[in-house]
Amino acid sequence: MLAFSPYISSFIDQIIVSIPYFKPELTLIITFIGTIIASLFVDKYWDKASFTITIAGLLLSGCYLLGQGLSHVEMVGFFDMIHIDTFATSARVIILLSTLLITIFIQQRYQHDRPLGDLYAVVLTATLGLNLLTMSSNWLMIFIAVETVSISSYIMVGYFSSNKVQSEAAMKYVLFGSICAAVMLYGLSLLYGFTGNLNFDAPSHIAGLMEAPRLMISIALLFLLTGIGFKLSFFPFHVWSPDVYQGAPTVITTYLATVPKIAVVVLLSKLLAAWLAVSFYFSDFLAYVIIIIAIATMLIGNLAALRQQDAKRMMAYSSIGHTGILLMAVLVYQNNESNVLLFYLSIYALMNIAVFIFIDSLEVSLGNTSIDSYKGLGKQSPLLFTSFSIVLIALIGLPPTAGFVGKLLIFSKVFEQYQNFQSFGLLALLIVGALTSVISLFYYFKIPLNAFLRDNVDHYSVKSNPLLLGIGLFCTIAVILLGLFPDILLSLF
Amino acid sequence: MITLTHFLVVSACIFCIGLYTVLSKKNAIMILVGIELMINAAILNFVAFGKYDKVSYGGQIFALFAIVLAAAAVAVGLALVLNVYRHYKTINPDEINELKDK
Repeated sequence: MLAFSPYISSFIDQIIVSIPYFKPELTLIITFIGTIIASLFVDKYWDKASFTITIAGLLLSGCYLLGQGLSHVEMVGFFDMIHIDTFATSARVIILLSTLLITIFIQQRYQHDRPLGDLYAVVLTATLGLNLLTMSSNWLMIFIAVETVSISSYIMVGYFSSNKVQSEAAMKYVLFGSICAAVMLYGLSLLYGFTGNLNFDAPSHIAGLMEAPRLMISIALLFLLTGIGFKLSFFPFHVWSPDVYQGAPTVITTYLATVPKIAVVVLLSKLLAAWLAVSFYFSDFLAYVIIIIAIATMLIGNLAALRQQDAKRMMAYSSIGHTGILLMAVLVYQNNESNVLLFYLSIYALMNIAVFIFIDSLEVSLGNTSIDSYKGLGKQSPLLFTSFSIVLIALIGLPPTAGFVGKLLIFSKVFEQYQNFQSFGLLALLIVGALTSVISLFYYFKIPLNAFLRDNVDHYSVKSNPLLLGIGLFCTIAVILLGLFPDILLSLF
Repeated sequence: MITLTHFLVVSACIFCIGLYTVLSKKNAIMILVGIELMINAAILNFVAFGKYDKVSYGGQIFALFAIVLAAAAVAVGLALVLNVYRHYKTINPDEINELKDK
């Protein structure tokens, strides 16, 4: 301890210098505390207090982020713990905007049911963890961020626990998630042992990985992928996601399906860009494992979705399939070429938020999420089902929607890489990716098929919340517009 | 003389015991105990490796944070298990299977 005392003042100086880089996250932390206080003391008098504070905090954090984004400077702070570059800033803007939409979704959906102040607070901590995940290249920081996101997500899934299914989903989620986190921690301890350094892009870290014994480094990397795989829900760690997506309240499912994936994809692409730059046993091993995982994820997600009768469960498998495509994009990601990945992530968020808003408004009216119950509803609520069908077309990846542009950009990037390296793995990825897009046609079209072409004897009236329907329509229009003019978004990143 | 290898062997054994507990026990609380064993194995590794990292003490710091995070995750886990018990009157994960592929 005495050895450190001469340096303490310089440490404190560096921390003070780093604080301005951390403004968006500090805003989230202060908002978190404000929301808790408001939910304890102010919500009794004005029931929208915690919601208003949450929205204001998210907007303020967004303003600071825009400031960082416009300055285009790479910043390193807190002793290399956070690295802020344009990739991280754009990803954080997408995370923040999606969180904003989902917060409004939560408020509109449960406004008359029960106090929600704590739920907003937990959403804010999850967002804080995701922000940290996009910025850091230090394993300690990453582990803390992953656990922050995980613990907040467990609470979100179990928050209502109003029936059997919701509590079951929460318990499965927490058990599976904690096991994956523990395995990842063991993998991280092995990596630390090989390298003596916790920064994954530091030269000494990569040098240590090159010299590590082959068997041990393979085990350590597989253990590491367990934790990342749980958050991304790729094969073989996808088994929790259909149960949790189906069991959790639809608003929470929306959050789980969109936002965490954005941050973890950013982390994984930074990791692979740092490690695959060298060609040694560990990087080749990692590349092959990721290729195999991506192929298996696309096949399993899309084939299992064919058999589903429940819209939320089907969307869970569909998002597993999309994870496979994101893994393809992650594999060919190189530094400073993040626009393809960010484009796909932002339209992925738009499409998922729209689909879950539509599923939720149908769930409110029908009382369940089974696809069979959508029979004949297309004529009664044409606006909802037309936009629902458009978003599903975007999820398949058909023109003229943004889903097509996103897939096209990723596929052409992979093909470019294939022409450069002639690697068989990349060709297999392309073939499986194209094939599974065709398969996905069959299960997504079940919804418009039931809604428009089949008749129903019972007549329900679908009443939608106008603001939520507005958000859904906005996302749908954005998906079409970005399909016609992708440059609007691509030029921003 | 206790060397690094001894620590690593012990931690590997603890990790395997934890993994076995997680996979075999029919009680959600015992699964949480198994998870705790796995995390402690990793923490032991970190502290053992941290001996060689006198510059930044990364391993020791990581161990401290991991202990705190594990406690937080287990606290949430126990609360959710209690919730399941209220609805199902059992905490055997094999019997809690309303959500599955049909």
